[in-house]
Amino acid sequence: MDNPTTNSAKITTFCCNWSVKPGLRLSNLSTDEEDKIIVTMCTGRVGPELVMQAFEYGAWGVLICACPLGECKHDANYKTLRRVLLLKRMLSQLNIEPERVRIEWIDTGEVAKLQNAVNGFYDAIEKLGPIK
Amino acid sequence: MAKPKVAFYWNASCGGCEEAVIDLAEDLLKVADAVDIVLWPVALDFKKKDVENLKDNEIVASFINGAVRTEEQKEMAELLRAKSQLVFAFGSCAHEGCIPGLANFTNREGIFERVYKTTESTKNPEGIFPKVKTKVPEGELTLPEFFDTVYTLDQTVEVDYYIPGCAPPPDIIMNAFTALLEGNLPEKGSVLSPNIALCDECDRNESKPEKLEIPEFNRVHQIEIDPEKCFLAQGIICMGISTRSGCGQRCINVNMPCRGCFGPLDGVKDFGLRTMAGIASIFALENEENLSEEDLSKLMDKLVDPAGLFYMYSLPSSILRRKRMEEK
Repeated sequence: MDNPTTNSAKITTFCCNWSVKPGLRLSNLSTDEEDKIIVTMCTGRVGPELVMQAFEYGAWGVLICACPLGECKHDANYKTLRRVLLLKRMLSQLNIEPERVRIEWIDTGEVAKLQNAVNGFYDAIEKLGPIK
Repeated sequence: MAKPKVAFYWNASCGGCEEAVIDLAEDLLKVADAVDIVLWPVALDFKKKDVENLKDNEIVASFINGAVRTEEQKEMAELLRAKSQLVFAFGSCAHEGCIPGLANFTNREGIFERVYKTTESTKNPEGIFPKVKTKVPEGELTLPEFFDTVYTLDQTVEVDYYIPGCAPPPDIIMNAFTALLEGNLPEKGSVLSPNIALCDECDRNESKPEKLEIPEFNRVHQIEIDPEKCFLAQGIICMGISTRSGCGQRCINVNMPCRGCFGPLDGVKDFGLRTMAGIASIFALENEENLSEEDLSKLMDKLVDPAGLFYMYSLPSSILRRKRMEEK
């Protein structure tokens, strides 16, 4: 397992295509495949199985960037929130830090907020280290 | 022509799967006529050495029920795998871990501590725990190693077919036997029950509202359950939405919601998470837009023990497989 002190936290970020992707393109965040920023058509499609598969593939933390509540055309971000809240409870019961999953609300064009969200999550996960 | 040899074996399970074979009733006689049973510890007096003396692949099919949690169970699964052309995971424990798999919320130490020390009826001041080897004046006594983790059968040996259910109902078992004897088995790796959700065939399906919304979760002891109405429409979590059918609605018919013993539909990686996603999506709150994340979080606390509920039958076969035991 990687040494958590080597500044190499592995995070996977799922971004909504409609609210987050425009900001992502304007940001200085890398969308290279190895940087694991994945754009989905709607965060409603980011089910708990997908989140856990990211952990299975070695992620230390998973960030979901969704439309602000009330702004998703499908109201799916409420579903995502409920699923994330339940997943965090299940993770706690299984002795995995629930902080390893985070949901952030990002509006179109909120470039700085997106960058801060990704960087802030990276820092938080780096402190936690990998799942042993 | 010699009759095909079959074996039945019992690992970590309650014995219900053995009962399920007996529940074939008259059909059991047909099976017994058609095959030569070479091992069935619960009913017939064959020993391990009888199996060891067989050639590799001499057994046409082994039906192994139960999860794997001891060295002995692993050894028997490996022996039967080597001697069998086909291995069937028989019942939910072998298929997904089932109730014994809930032991994956703890480990050997936790289980031994509870069972041999802290249960209210236990008196063990000397702290005697089972050991793999114990010296007595007459020599050395041995017990199989008890694993920290409960495994499904296919995490232990290669499995060819799965017969789901806790326990599998007679028609599902008989269909599997018939397919085996007639050479009509589907593709290897198949689960031998219909690949449709229980909801689709549920008698209460018509009472399910077009748009299903649960404003609050009820537990079965908290309300008087309408025996005709969809459980979800009554706020009771029913896992028929994501559980494979074939059980004959045994629980539904006695007014209890589905808990998922038949496991997932094809292609689902984690039954508990898939079910949780479905339940979370229909948990619709009035004025949700006026609730803060904290409010919503408090409401979610009303769903008691989500991991125990959604993984009731499938924790060992989930992505995480078990509770992490290392220090945080």
